[in-house]
Amino acid sequence: MTLPRVLFVTGKGGTGKSTVAAAIALALSRRRPTTLADLDGRLSAAAALGAMPRDSTAVKVSDTLDVIALTARAELEAFIERIVPIRAISRRMLRSRTFGYVTAALPGLEAFLLLERLRIMAGDAALEDRYLVIDAPASGSAVELLSVSSGVKNLAPAGTLNRLADSIDGFLGDATRFGAVITTTPETLAVREALETAATIRERLGIATVAAIMNCVPDLIFDTSELAAMSPLGGHARLAIRRNSAHEQAALAAPRFADAGMMIVNLPMMFTPSIGSAELTKLGRVLDAELLDR
Amino acid sequence: MKPFDLRAQKLVICLGPGGVGKTTISAALAVRAAMLGCAVDVMTVDPAPRLLDALGLEQDSSEPVEVFLDGVQRGRRSKTREHARLRALRLDPKRTFDSIIARYALSDAARDTILENRIYRNLSGALAGVGDYMAMEKLLELAANPTTDLIVLDTPPATEALDFLDAPRRLLELLNSRAVTLLGAPAGLFRSQLRMVDIAARAVLAAFDRVTGLHLLSDVQSFVRSFDGMYEGFSVRAARAQDKLRATDTAIVVVTTAESSRIAQAREFIDALEGAGLRVSAMVVNRLMAELPDAAELASARIAPSLKKKLKRNLADYAALKTREEVSLTALRDSLPSGAILMVAHDLGREPRTIADLAEIGRSISAA
Repeated sequence: MTLPRVLFVTGKGGTGKSTVAAAIALALSRRRPTTLADLDGRLSAAAALGAMPRDSTAVKVSDTLDVIALTARAELEAFIERIVPIRAISRRMLRSRTFGYVTAALPGLEAFLLLERLRIMAGDAALEDRYLVIDAPASGSAVELLSVSSGVKNLAPAGTLNRLADSIDGFLGDATRFGAVITTTPETLAVREALETAATIRERLGIATVAAIMNCVPDLIFDTSELAAMSPLGGHARLAIRRNSAHEQAALAAPRFADAGMMIVNLPMMFTPSIGSAELTKLGRVLDAELLDR
Repeated sequence: MKPFDLRAQKLVICLGPGGVGKTTISAALAVRAAMLGCAVDVMTVDPAPRLLDALGLEQDSSEPVEVFLDGVQRGRRSKTREHARLRALRLDPKRTFDSIIARYALSDAARDTILENRIYRNLSGALAGVGDYMAMEKLLELAANPTTDLIVLDTPPATEALDFLDAPRRLLELLNSRAVTLLGAPAGLFRSQLRMVDIAARAVLAAFDRVTGLHLLSDVQSFVRSFDGMYEGFSVRAARAQDKLRATDTAIVVVTTAESSRIAQAREFIDALEGAGLRVSAMVVNRLMAELPDAAELASARIAPSLKKKLKRNLADYAALKTREEVSLTALRDSLPSGAILMVAHDLGREPRTIADLAEIGRSISAA
C-alpha cells in the first residue's frame, strides 16, 4: 500500500498525538525527504524532534527531515498583507479587535486559508517527492478544520472562494494526496472516540482514513493461569490485570478499525521515566515496520 | 496546607485543556458537595454518554434535572439530608443565546432580523466561542436561585483559558465597536470620521466581498444595527458576570492530568488567568496512578519463581511511569501560584458510569 502524500495525524487529547506524529515523520524521513507541519499551537511534535520553528519558516532536523509551524492566524496575516500592501496599515488592522471579530464571525476564514496553504504545500511536496506529516489539532477541532471548505461552499455558492473551496475539497478527497491517521489508546472511551472521529472524517467529509495508531500498548507477560495463581497478592495482582487488560483492549479494538478499512498499528507502552529521543526512535522503528512496510 | 473547602464556595469553575476529564471532575466535586450537605447545581458541557447516564441527563436537558443521591449519601442528621440536593443541567449555547436575544430584543421584527442574520448564525455556532458567553449567562440565571448553596461549572474545552472568562467582554466590545458600525455605513457617510485602520479594514472586507460575493459588509452592518438598544441589557449582565468571577466565594479550579504536555498547557492557563487578575484557587491533577504495591510483599510470596520474576518486572515498569508522574507533579508544585493548592484525583481504572463512581472520585480528590 502506498501512503498518501499528506498524513493528517489527529486524535483525542492525551492519546499521544504529537508524539506519534513526530515518530511517523521520523520513520518516513529514513526513506524520503519529509516535512512535519505542526498545526497544534503548542508545537510539542516539533519539540519532540528537538526543533523550535517560528514564523512559518522550515527548520532542518536532519538532511531529510524539516519542521514547520503553521498557524491559522499567520495565514490570515499573509492574506491581509496581500490585499493591503502597505505594511503599517495592515499591521495595525490585524491588531484591531474589530477586525478580529469580523474574521471570527466569518465562517472559518482563517481555517480555510490554512487548508489552502496545506494544499499548496502538498503540490510542492509532490514535485519533490517529499512527504508531509501534519500534527493536527485534537479530534474535535480537526473535524471542524476539515469541514470548513464545505461550509464556505454553502455560503459562497459562486465566485473565487467557491472555486478555491472546490479545489481544497478535491485535494482532501483525493486518497493519493491526503489521508487521516487517528491516534488512540487501549481504553474504551478513547477507542470509541477514535472510531467515531474516523467515521465522521470518512463518511461525512469523504476523506480517506489511512490508519489507526494504538498508542501505549503494554506487552503481554502474564498468561491466564498465572493471573489466577497471583490472586492472593492484592496490589500486585491488580497491577498485572491492569497490564493484561490494556493489552486485551488493544486486541479487541483492532478488528473494529480493520472493519472500517483502516490499517492498525500498535505502539508499545514506553515504561520509561520520560519520553526522549531514544523512545521516539524506538516508536519510529515500529512504525517503519508496521505502517510503511505494508 | 489548608484543604479546599467546597462548603465555603458559592461557585466553582473548572477550567482546563480538552481531554483531561474536566467534566468528570466537575461532576465529582458536585456530588462530593452534595454529600457534604450542600444544595448543588452542576452545569456540564458536552459530557460523555456514560456520564450523561450517571447524571440522569437526556441528550438535551437544558433545564436542571434532579440527580438521585441514593446510596452515596451518608448524612446521619436528617436535616442535612433534606437540604442537600444535586441538580444537573447541560448547556446548549445556541438555545441560550436565542432566548437571550428574544429577551432583550426591542421588537419581534428586531429579534427575527438577528436570528436570521448570517453573522449571528456563525457567531452563535462554535466558531466565535459564544458558547463560553452563554455558559456565563446560564450561570447568572442559576445563581439567582437563593436556595442553591453551590454551583459547579464545567467549561467548554478551550485552548486558551481566557476564551471562556473573557467572553462577555469580547461580545460587548463587538456590539459597542465604533469601527464595526462605521464599517457598515454607506460609502461617503462618516467618511471624515473613519480612521486609517477603519478605512483599511473596510477596504479588505470590500475586496473580500467583491472576490467572494459574500456581501459581508451589509451583514455586519445589519447585525450591529439590530442590536441597537440591546447593549444596555448585555452590558449589565456582562458586568455582573465579571463581578461573580472575582467574588471571594468563587473558586477557579484548573484541571489537568500528569502528562508533561498537559501540565505545560495548564501552566499557560494559570499565567493567563493571573495576567487577567483572576485568582486560581486550586489545581486538580486528574487520573493519577494509584499507589504501587509493596515490593517486599513479592519477596516473601509463595509463588513460582518465574512468576515472581515477571511480577517484579511489572512493578518496575509501572514504577517508571509513576516516576514520570512524580517528576511532573514536582515541577507543578514548584510553579503553583501563591494561594493556590494542588490536589489530585485518583484514576478509577474505568470510565465513571454511576453516581457512586463520581462519589468515589470526589472522595479521592485530596491535597497533594
